[in-house]
Amino acid sequence: MLNSIEFFVSEAWTGFKRSGIMSFVAVGTVIVSLTIFGVFLMGVVNIGSIIGTISSNVQVSAYVNRSLEKYEADSIVSRISMLRGVANVKYISRTDAWKRFKEEYGGKMSLEDVVSDNPLPDTFIVEVQIPELVPSVARQISGMPVISEVRYSGKLIEQVESLASAVRIGGLILVCMLSVATLLIVINTIRLTVIAREKDIAIMKLVGATNSFIKWPFIIEGIMIGLIGSMFSFAILKSSYDLVVFQVSQALPFLPLISDQRHLLAVYLIVGCVGVFLGMMGGYISVSKSLKEFS
Amino acid sequence: MIQIIGVSKVYPNGFEALSNVDIHIGKEEFIFIVGPSGSGKTTLMKLLYREELPTSGQVIIDKLNVAELKPYQVPYLRRNMGVVFQDFKLLPRRTVWENISFAMQVVGRPRSAIRRHVSLALELVGLQKKADSFPADLSGGEQQRACIARAIVNNPPLLIADEPTGNLDPTTSWEIINLLDKINKRKTTVIVTTHNKNIVDIMRKRVVALESGRIIRDEQLGVYGSAK
Repeated sequence: MLNSIEFFVSEAWTGFKRSGIMSFVAVGTVIVSLTIFGVFLMGVVNIGSIIGTISSNVQVSAYVNRSLEKYEADSIVSRISMLRGVANVKYISRTDAWKRFKEEYGGKMSLEDVVSDNPLPDTFIVEVQIPELVPSVARQISGMPVISEVRYSGKLIEQVESLASAVRIGGLILVCMLSVATLLIVINTIRLTVIAREKDIAIMKLVGATNSFIKWPFIIEGIMIGLIGSMFSFAILKSSYDLVVFQVSQALPFLPLISDQRHLLAVYLIVGCVGVFLGMMGGYISVSKSLKEFS
Repeated sequence: MIQIIGVSKVYPNGFEALSNVDIHIGKEEFIFIVGPSGSGKTTLMKLLYREELPTSGQVIIDKLNVAELKPYQVPYLRRNMGVVFQDFKLLPRRTVWENISFAMQVVGRPRSAIRRHVSLALELVGLQKKADSFPADLSGGEQQRACIARAIVNNPPLLIADEPTGNLDPTTSWEIINLLDKINKRKTTVIVTTHNKNIVDIMRKRVVALESGRIIRDEQLGVYGSAK
């Protein structure tokens, strides 16, 4: 058995070397496809994480139509805190809000020239733990007395999510097309080996080699193509992703890209497995087709 | 050992290569199949190692009906026979040793057995000194001996030689025939197709003569043509 494996691998390696340029083309195609596949996977994973971050920071702002006394504000804060899913409630009086607003933008112009009176309402900032509960929390707050308006960033989440699903579908189509192209090129490459080996195959059959025995070297040759392609595309993906994460962390520090290598391990593993699988299938299909033609 | 019963073979293009052929071959026999080119000798051999299927009739080897074998069973049939060709069919990029060990590797024999049996086969055909040569560096006779070594290395009970001397000069042809005779004496059934009259007449073995796909003669201690 061990003997046979050694035989398969050395036959596969000879075939790989003998196909020369075509082997390089096949490996190159695998690299390109897997790299694009990897980029797509990284995109999906990161959009997921961005959605997660945005959703977990959802705030509901509730505005009040008049100035509240301290005790009124406190009672509303405690009522809101009792709602399901609410993590934290903060009360900002209109005076505080105005003061903050002026601190932030006041330097540029004198706001009193434009608006004579403080236009801001009293506001409750509500943090909701579970994104799905945001709409119901908002509805219940808006039903409370003195609350005039409730706002939350639900639209943004929906938009990001629809973008994410568009990326997923588009990427999936792209990946499928690339997989088919890669498969065809691997099939063609290994076919060259099969043709170069026609005589060997005929003799193998003559001396009583089983079809499955004849197939193995070609399947292994396919796996070699897939494996070498996977390793290169892993190197490309890893180095370029690390570079992107570094650049983004400098330029857009608020964008929560995944930098933990453990989370990316799954991506790299999937890319590697897909590469090996494509190579293996290519080898198998190619040699099975040829064996049928010969006999 | 081999029963060929009422076998006909018509190729898809309509050519009838064999017509109602009956031959029974016993264990450890040495038999010549003779006849001019196109008389159906090679087709008959192909039926034996199931390269072709009979159009009608039966080919039975060791109680196995060859035509009824499932494709996955064919390799196991072939492991019980060695085949030798006029054009040797050696792999050019492998040495003599590798060509012979290849036949054992592909049936999954262990390395120690391969080493022992390849040595024995090389010794039997007298090619020990050429083990590391490539086929292109060998004479025709040496190539045919390498081919015979490959055919017998797995110790099959049956050896089929299709025109083994077709490409060889008379002296070398005799060497090959004597080698086949030697293998036959080691209790291997040997079937040889040939149109070498000289050899057949001197060997005086069983001779089956084919003409246009029909058996015209089947005699023990026979000669190539009817004595004139």
